[in-house]
Amino acid sequence: MEDDPTDILIVDGTIEKICSGTDAGQADRSWDLCGLVLCPGFIDLHCHLRDPGQEWREDIISGSLAGAAGGYTTLVCMPNTDPPIDSPALVRYVLEKSGYGKGTRVLPAGCVSKGRKGKTLAEMGKMALAGAVLFTDDGSPVGDSNLLRLALQYSSRLGVRIMEHPEDSSLAFGAQVNDGICSTFSGLKGWPTAAEAADISRGISLCRDTGVPIHFTHVSSGESIEVLRSAKYSGLPVTCDVTPHHLSLAEGSVISSGYDGVFKVNPPLRSISDKDSLWEGIADGTVDAIATDHAPYHLDEKDLPFQEASFGIASLECAVAAVLNEWHRRGKPFPMERLLSLFTSGPSSILPKEWKWLGKIETGSPADLTVLDPELEREVDVKTWKSKARLSPWDGERLKGWPVMTLVMGETVHIDRESFKGRG
Amino acid sequence: MEWRHRHVIDLDTWDRSDLQFIMEQSRSMDELLDRPIKKVPALRGKLVVNLFFEASTRTRVSFELAEKFLSADVVNWSASGSSTGKGETLRDTAWTLEAMGADAVVIRHGAVGAADYLARKLRKSSVFNGGDGAHAHPTQALLDLYTAWKKLGDLDGMKMAMIGDVLHSRVARSDIIAFNRMGVKVELSGPATLMPRDTHALGAEFREDPRDALKGADIVYLLRIQRERQEEGMFPSLDEYHQFFGADDELLEFARPGALVMHPGPINRGVEISSTVADGAQSMILGQVRSGVALRMALLFVCLGGANQ
Repeated sequence: MEDDPTDILIVDGTIEKICSGTDAGQADRSWDLCGLVLCPGFIDLHCHLRDPGQEWREDIISGSLAGAAGGYTTLVCMPNTDPPIDSPALVRYVLEKSGYGKGTRVLPAGCVSKGRKGKTLAEMGKMALAGAVLFTDDGSPVGDSNLLRLALQYSSRLGVRIMEHPEDSSLAFGAQVNDGICSTFSGLKGWPTAAEAADISRGISLCRDTGVPIHFTHVSSGESIEVLRSAKYSGLPVTCDVTPHHLSLAEGSVISSGYDGVFKVNPPLRSISDKDSLWEGIADGTVDAIATDHAPYHLDEKDLPFQEASFGIASLECAVAAVLNEWHRRGKPFPMERLLSLFTSGPSSILPKEWKWLGKIETGSPADLTVLDPELEREVDVKTWKSKARLSPWDGERLKGWPVMTLVMGETVHIDRESFKGRG
Repeated sequence: MEWRHRHVIDLDTWDRSDLQFIMEQSRSMDELLDRPIKKVPALRGKLVVNLFFEASTRTRVSFELAEKFLSADVVNWSASGSSTGKGETLRDTAWTLEAMGADAVVIRHGAVGAADYLARKLRKSSVFNGGDGAHAHPTQALLDLYTAWKKLGDLDGMKMAMIGDVLHSRVARSDIIAFNRMGVKVELSGPATLMPRDTHALGAEFREDPRDALKGADIVYLLRIQRERQEEGMFPSLDEYHQFFGADDELLEFARPGALVMHPGPINRGVEISSTVADGAQSMILGQVRSGVALRMALLFVCLGGANQ
């Protein structure tokens, strides 16, 4: 990260020059970013855009606008749609529709198994060729260990990583909250951290067995971080991401809010010590990326008694702020660069070769850029969201540290007018 | 005393003085039940709706009697054959009831958080939780407390042994909180598969051997064992449950002589409790039923009109 002020010249969507003293005179437009932080465009490895099939919750267009407003330049959307993205035709559908959007780039993840049924391999080769950037049965683990092993072996040559949703289904069956204080007091069935760590341990063994990289998503517990730390220490190609909600919220919110369904999510919000472990995992390099797991729902699906509400937290437009706010709140436990790498170089290292330029600012690369104001304080207001979601745990909360400008291929897809008064 | 609870959802925020006050109010209402005319005009002109989504005869009738003895207008809204069957959401039902002028809604629902949810949606009415999933059953805990207090007086320093399926029990959760707050030590026993994760945080200690839990207990509280739990495989058989955890005369020997035996009802004879114990001298089961009406009268009176008017 450069602390000295520097200029960036963008021509036709590509970064042409990075050096100070550039003459802005000839430019169509220039921005003064004094006091702000310029980053490579942020990448979200895991979000649910509900398109095709569940567009009352979100679609690729609204999702891409929401992402842009949240400071993201690339979103990887999950394939648990209706129908699920398990064929090249649907991969192409997502890419084509993404092209009509005026926000982030949207890249599709494809299913590991046909129909997301967890029984046989999906046509991963064809999907990779069509442009799929990850394979996952997210929403579910790949429960059948033999199938997961086959998937790792088979997909190895494609250079497209498998992302496992770590959950032992029999242990977590019917569970709604963390198995700890929350389950004890609420009477709701608990989701023990053992269910997550067990699935991760299994995946790590298969990674060791096949030699193929594997990524674990929305890791939520200290127990899991320990297992992953150990595996990384042995040199195994395992990677993981954590969510903004697990980094900033804990199981106490479920109880103190009077069982408000807005806090209901899978994996559930966990204990304070689990949350602390996630931050330690970021500090020591165990955690590679932050991914939102943005799970938008219609109001009618979330505004229900807790036990009946759907699982999922919508966060694209305030995810970065939620994380920065918590980082401030914890007294900035490590340099901001470390945190920012989890939105940039971390996620890009999980993506296929052709996308590795994402997460860097380099001459010759497309100008995907995110501008942050780490000191800006502002209240979250879901009524102004571009996302179709209208319920979020941070609604009404004052957060510190916001993205104020987003560029995709040199196009300004989001700009915070307040912050940029007098800068352009 | 200035009563500060508009709703009765759970007992988490109740302090000892709240509990003591309700005990005393319940005693006054209890005396009423001995009169030839069981009626006072305390809630005349108030509309109370009993919104029961789960089948319940005992709790609903108990509330209904309490409401009627206080002269309230009562409406029973049951889930089947109603708009709920046609897909009406709880949110719409709540607003409909408020529009119709309900002053209070008593709700029993299978979903944890339903009573909290209803309270969030109602602008003026009071909500009484008749049981929401496995979370809370505050009126049961209060009537249990009243029953014990009536019989034993000041409960501070006493011990209660609670045996059974605590994991799935809203009665257990609310009772542990209530009895703890009055200074009672609670020890739990039952199959380990039927215990919550952190009993210590809840305020009770787990004893693998029920005889240890019963040692020196002034109150023995038995929870109902549901057939479904055995079907889910959480313990091998009802017979094995009864052999190790069923309260029979032999097991009761380990408690203090004359210890009260309590059960929220309905009882499963031969499973968690033997017939001799259920019908024996120490059993407070019918006393609990009587206390239930008095307690619910006290609660309705205090929350809806009595003390603060």
